[in-house]
Amino acid sequence: MPENRLSGPLAVAVSCLSILLALLIWQILATQGVLGKNFPGSVKTLEELVWWLSDPFFNNGPNDLGIGTNLLISLRRVLIGYGLAVVVAVPLGLVMGISRIADASLNPFVQLLKPVSPLAWLPIGLFIFRDSELTGVFVIFISSIWPTLINTAFGVSSINPDFLRVSRSLGASQLRTIHKVVLPAVMPNILAGMRISMGTAWLVIVAAEMLLGSGIGYFIWNEWNNLSLPNIFVAIIVIGFAGLLLDQVFGWLQKRFDYQL
Amino acid sequence: MPPAMISSPATAAAVRTFPDAQVVVEAVSKVFQSERSLLSRLRSRPGDRYVALEGVDLAIEKNTFVSIIGPSGCGKSTLLNLIAGLDRPSSGQILVDGERIKGPGPDRGIIFQNYALMPWLTALANVEYAVETACPKLSHGQARERARQYLSMVGLERSMHRYPKQMSGGMKQRVAIARALSINPTILLMDEPFGALDALTRAYLQEEVLRIWENNRITVVLITHSIEEALLLSDKIVLMSRGPAARIADVIDLPPLRPRQRSVIDQHPDFLAIKIRLEEHLLNETRAVEERT
Ligand SMILES: Nc1ncnc2c1ncn2[C@@H]1O[C@H](COP(=O)(O)OP(=O)(O)OP(=O)(O)O)[C@@H](O)[C@H]1O
Ligand SMILES: [Mg+2]
Repeated sequence: MPENRLSGPLAVAVSCLSILLALLIWQILATQGVLGKNFPGSVKTLEELVWWLSDPFFNNGPNDLGIGTNLLISLRRVLIGYGLAVVVAVPLGLVMGISRIADASLNPFVQLLKPVSPLAWLPIGLFIFRDSELTGVFVIFISSIWPTLINTAFGVSSINPDFLRVSRSLGASQLRTIHKVVLPAVMPNILAGMRISMGTAWLVIVAAEMLLGSGIGYFIWNEWNNLSLPNIFVAIIVIGFAGLLLDQVFGWLQKRFDYQL
Repeated sequence: MPPAMISSPATAAAVRTFPDAQVVVEAVSKVFQSERSLLSRLRSRPGDRYVALEGVDLAIEKNTFVSIIGPSGCGKSTLLNLIAGLDRPSSGQILVDGERIKGPGPDRGIIFQNYALMPWLTALANVEYAVETACPKLSHGQARERARQYLSMVGLERSMHRYPKQMSGGMKQRVAIARALSINPTILLMDEPFGALDALTRAYLQEEVLRIWENNRITVVLITHSIEEALLLSDKIVLMSRGPAARIADVIDLPPLRPRQRSVIDQHPDFLAIKIRLEEHLLNETRAVEERT
């Protein structure tokens, strides 16, 4: 199928056209009142978007922050929580992949905790930390640890055994083999896991922040209390673009490190 | 035939019996135990056992080129892995230079069937990794220089910055040869090194290996299932019987004709006789395997 995909200027043109069409349909539906009275149309939303983007970083107190300021708050929480998760998940995944005992003893926890909604950890975080900032970081940490952990462990266990045999036959120490063979071999798996983790973290932060009092998620909650739907759409667009950019960074990294391509 | 018939388990005895032998495989058996699930282990059910090798005795003299040939699946790779120290025998022992081996070591260079080059490293970096690992005393520059030298020896001086995916099968196998030789092993172990190559590349690489070996005669153990390859390259051909419980069926000394042309194999009466013998053996063993199933 990929060979049949449009590319170049034509693809861009088609994409732009389809976006314009969607905005048009949105506007028509809104003005016709199909989506309820006072539902904002695309024109109103875009006007608001321009307004918010024209001065993104103002600060008039906790309930009146610029959208850029809120976005940066969310990003900071995500990057700290996610960074900690990666720092824990990669070595732990390596250990699980290398040692059967570690795998057998950690796997039950992974299997049990992975499917739990990250939001279930919110009250626990709040109870432990009594601080919304730390709780946010904690929830991001706990929700983004699993994909990286599982992908890393899987990568190690599916490594081509010949690479390990070569290294062993040369008399390499275990540590050297891990550093020079295992790590580069599982790099694509690690990055794939990190990409999924980042996606999860970005999904979770918005929901978590609705209960936390700042950040882009709280912005949405606040605008809901103000009954300002256009602003909520503005936030959705901003969140979408930020998520897209974060994902693109990983797309680029994966290309850079995928030796199989 | 005689070297395949040792029975004494003592190291000293083996060394006495084969004073020239560099590698002595003595009464070696290898049993593969299939992994058992937790449940069957709790019920103490025995797992599946497969006796790959049983009572294998073999002595390989220093600086000879020995080929091991046998029917498919008989345990050739298993035997090579044991000599390499990558795997342990279930019973019996393997001596290299009179000492019982405990694991792999840089005295033995290995060439794997499917190249086993690390795809994230260039040809040069692959060889460099081997040199730096086996000779940690060398400086980075010296290691690199050594790697270059060996890549040039196999004719890759102009492609050493390529990644494996940018190389043909033959080039990759040449990198693998350079890598195995770069650590200056006294024994070179090769597991069907040319099996995956097309006929012309194979012929070319066989001659390359022969040329390199003529310049620096180390002990070579070559696993192959090509009779012609064994005849072209070896001083000695070790014939294995079919598995399970494969053993050494015969050891054939080849006429000391070196350098050896490809045409010799089809014209020299001694070679021809050996060729017929090998064909007969392999055919019989293979027939027995096929008719059993
Ligand atoms: N790790 C293992 N566990 C169980 N059985 C194994 C294992 N490795 C090899 N065997 C079995 O031992 C036998 C010998 O295997 P081996 O790979 O040594 O044969 P081979 O002579 O090298 O075969 P080929 O000609 O296909 O390369 C085979 O029947 C194989 O199924
Ligand atoms: Mg084999």
